[in-house]
Amino acid sequence: MPSPLRSIDWGSIAPLRIRARVVADGVYAGAHRSLRRGPGVEFGGHREYVPGDDLRWLDRRALLRHDKLIVREFETETDRGLRLIVDASASMGFRSHAAPAAKFAFAALIAGALARLAIASGDPVGLEWLGGAGVRPLPARAGREAFERIIGALESADAGGDLGLDAGSVERAFGSIARKAKRGTIIVLVSDLLDLPNETLDRFAALASGGRVLVALQVLDPEETKFPFEGTVRLRALEGGSVIETDADTTRTRYLERLAAIGNEWARKLTDHRGQFLRAETTDEPAEVLRTAVFAIGGRLTRRGGAP
Amino acid sequence: MSFLYAAGLAVALLVVAPFIAHLLERRRADERDFPPTRLVPLSEPVARRRRRVDDRILYAVRTAAVILLAFLGATPFVRCSSLAIGRHGGASVALAIVLDDSLSMLAQSGNGTRWDKAKKAAYDLIADAREGDAVGIVLAGSQPRIALASTTDLAAARGVVESLVASHRATDLDGALELARSLVHGLPQADHRVVLLSDLADGRVDGPPLGESADVALWIPLSDLTEPARNCAILRADRQRERATVRVACSPPGESKRRAVAIYADDKRVGETKLPDEAPGTDVGVQLHDATGELMARLVGADAILADDTAPVLATSGELAVAIVADPVSSKLATGGPPPVEQALSALELDMRVRPLPLLPDRPEDLAPFAGIVIEDPPGFTPEARRSLGAWLERGGVALLALGPHAPLAPLGASFEPLVAGSVGWGPSGAQGLDERAAAVFGAAAPGLYDLRPRGRATVDLPLLGSAAKVVARWKDDAPWLIERPVGRGFVFVITLPTSAETSDLPLRPAFLTLLEMFTEAARGRSGAHRTTVGEAWAFQGAKSLEVVGPDKAHLRVTDDGTSKLVVPDKIGTYDIKLDGDKLIRLAAPAEREVDLRPRPVNPQTRAASLGDIRAKLDVSPHVAALLLALFVVELGIRLWVRSAR
Repeated sequence: MPSPLRSIDWGSIAPLRIRARVVADGVYAGAHRSLRRGPGVEFGGHREYVPGDDLRWLDRRALLRHDKLIVREFETETDRGLRLIVDASASMGFRSHAAPAAKFAFAALIAGALARLAIASGDPVGLEWLGGAGVRPLPARAGREAFERIIGALESADAGGDLGLDAGSVERAFGSIARKAKRGTIIVLVSDLLDLPNETLDRFAALASGGRVLVALQVLDPEETKFPFEGTVRLRALEGGSVIETDADTTRTRYLERLAAIGNEWARKLTDHRGQFLRAETTDEPAEVLRTAVFAIGGRLTRRGGAP
Repeated sequence: MSFLYAAGLAVALLVVAPFIAHLLERRRADERDFPPTRLVPLSEPVARRRRRVDDRILYAVRTAAVILLAFLGATPFVRCSSLAIGRHGGASVALAIVLDDSLSMLAQSGNGTRWDKAKKAAYDLIADAREGDAVGIVLAGSQPRIALASTTDLAAARGVVESLVASHRATDLDGALELARSLVHGLPQADHRVVLLSDLADGRVDGPPLGESADVALWIPLSDLTEPARNCAILRADRQRERATVRVACSPPGESKRRAVAIYADDKRVGETKLPDEAPGTDVGVQLHDATGELMARLVGADAILADDTAPVLATSGELAVAIVADPVSSKLATGGPPPVEQALSALELDMRVRPLPLLPDRPEDLAPFAGIVIEDPPGFTPEARRSLGAWLERGGVALLALGPHAPLAPLGASFEPLVAGSVGWGPSGAQGLDERAAAVFGAAAPGLYDLRPRGRATVDLPLLGSAAKVVARWKDDAPWLIERPVGRGFVFVITLPTSAETSDLPLRPAFLTLLEMFTEAARGRSGAHRTTVGEAWAFQGAKSLEVVGPDKAHLRVTDDGTSKLVVPDKIGTYDIKLDGDKLIRLAAPAEREVDLRPRPVNPQTRAASLGDIRAKLDVSPHVAALLLALFVVELGIRLWVRSAR
């Protein structure tokens, strides 16, 4: 049964454009340098030669002086694109009484702020969707207008769709990135990771090939993380249409275990692919969440790679 | 039921409200959106069951509360009617309550039986009595008896009414009313009243109206008890070989149409016959097939009284055995054939076996097969015969001793003990014929004895026979002719005239047959199964120990009048009797007149409003309100308990 369309409850996050700027400005990321070692203009240091290194960068003087094969490294500025994948399925439209806004609104805020940071650094930003209604995928573009387009696309989206019944949505989003994203592209998935098709994690991890950096940010409502119900409750899923009656007191522990298992699985898989798994609640301070995300992305940036 | 009362009760329809609320509550019970629902396991069944039980308790409490609320709304209009005594100027009343406990009072009337209504009315009357009033209670089931002599102790009266149970007796309204009047007669209260709580069905539809000539005012308040009812009853059921004869009576007689009588051996039906179209009191034959064991006759179909639809079948195949000890020479007839007494017993066709004996047996076991023995003109009894006869009498034998000319010829050592004490003589009769008081015993046959012409008569020493001996018929000169005397559990008839036609013309008189019938009845009554009417006392003369168990397995109360032990069966059915160690069976059957449920006419004055009325009283509102309050407290308690349990 298709889930009904849900207008996004923006809550205190509206207006998104201003909130995203404020959040982004509150995070010092510096003009993050999209660095790549290899041929460049600025010397980046020495390292021992390993077979396969380009002999053009062999430092002959060092060979004479130290009697060792040493290659020279250089740093060069490059544009590292940011590809945002935002989950707009029906479950993302959920907001509990304790939350300031729907999960989608929070995800859009983080995505918008990230886009702001990337565009400020001159990097191109693209946008893909999982599910949703009225959504517009955006190709990677840089510049001030790109930010406006991304914000406009986020604001015009509605939550809807059952990803369990629409496996093609995952294929469309991930396939586009797999085909178009360049080496070193940062791919950020913002989703609740609930009700996703089984192959989603494998397909997302596969995007790590080609030096791409993966970050999955799980956005959950506080009701989902705490399961604060008491006594017998009837719960209705927003995707799949299932309704169950259960005793909250006796099932709380097992539910939290199952929820944690999802995060653990994503974290283990992404770690294997040099990615990062993050979790955020909609009650968290957005600037902190953004800082954590930037840190996770930056960690990848500061790690030095080998010769080109 | 008034409109307002009905409207008040209509609130009870809101009893569905808690149920609907319960359903609504269950339907929307904390249902909410929750995206990760698929991660939530189903709850433990124990927890769900606990919640269901809790809810049901609350639901039951709320439902009861709504019903009580409806009654609370309606009770201002509820009026429970009760009987109340009419008083002249508020004076004290001496009240005799005649409560009919006969079989007909077991007929259904509304939600209960007529007996239930009558008993409740008796309660009401006692509740309405004041200090200074005297209350007596008489039961109208035959024989009428006083359940409570007049007393001002109203608590005792209530206790007596509480203990009363319905019986299957016949009705004797006249006797009961007479007894009731005697209860209040002479009491100091200014006003005397007899209240009859009965269906008036005493089988005397054509009898004089009740309350016609009473010096004490009679009030018959419960007119609804006389409403027509349909009933059939089995009066008796007898079996002779492979055929049962069932006597059935119906009221009205046409009620027998479409009904049948069936015979059961345990639960197996061994015979059935449809009743005739009308059965005012009709014998119905039922052919039996493969009938073994104890049989029960049952009426097929239902009627107003169930208690009289079943009766045990009395097996009459065991014939009554009577021995005749007579001198074949002296007692023979000129025309030949057996002695007159033997011929007469055969002529009576009383379903018995007559066996002539040349001598009185010396051993008790030789007498045991006989229920009765006729001894014709014996010349006394030898000591062995006396011992044998005495033991047989102690066990319930019945003897008819006809004293004749051989009586004074008793040899040495012989006497007439244990039948007659002292010496017996023989001589010419000083009078011809019997006194007219013999009519009391022989009825229409008595005149034949008034001119009896004997050639002589025996003389006995009457004082030696003891106080128990009773002369029931005398010669015109007041000499005894027929003496009855109990010996042990047995009974002895002594006539001072032999049955030989040579000595008198007694065998030619109709009263001779009546005498033999009396003897036979007494013998039959003391042997084997025996059936009487319910309420008719069973007297066991000379019994040392007696234990009677009724059809409901209850032990009957045994009274002792000095010479006999008495038991009154008041239920239809079979009674197991243990008499001096011997086991007997007796049956109690309903009286035929009791089956007629038509009421006896009454004097309209017995329903006069001045005698008493039916008052409306009893407002139950406070009790209902208190109960309602208690229910609310219970609900609060349950809620607190449930909350703390969670």
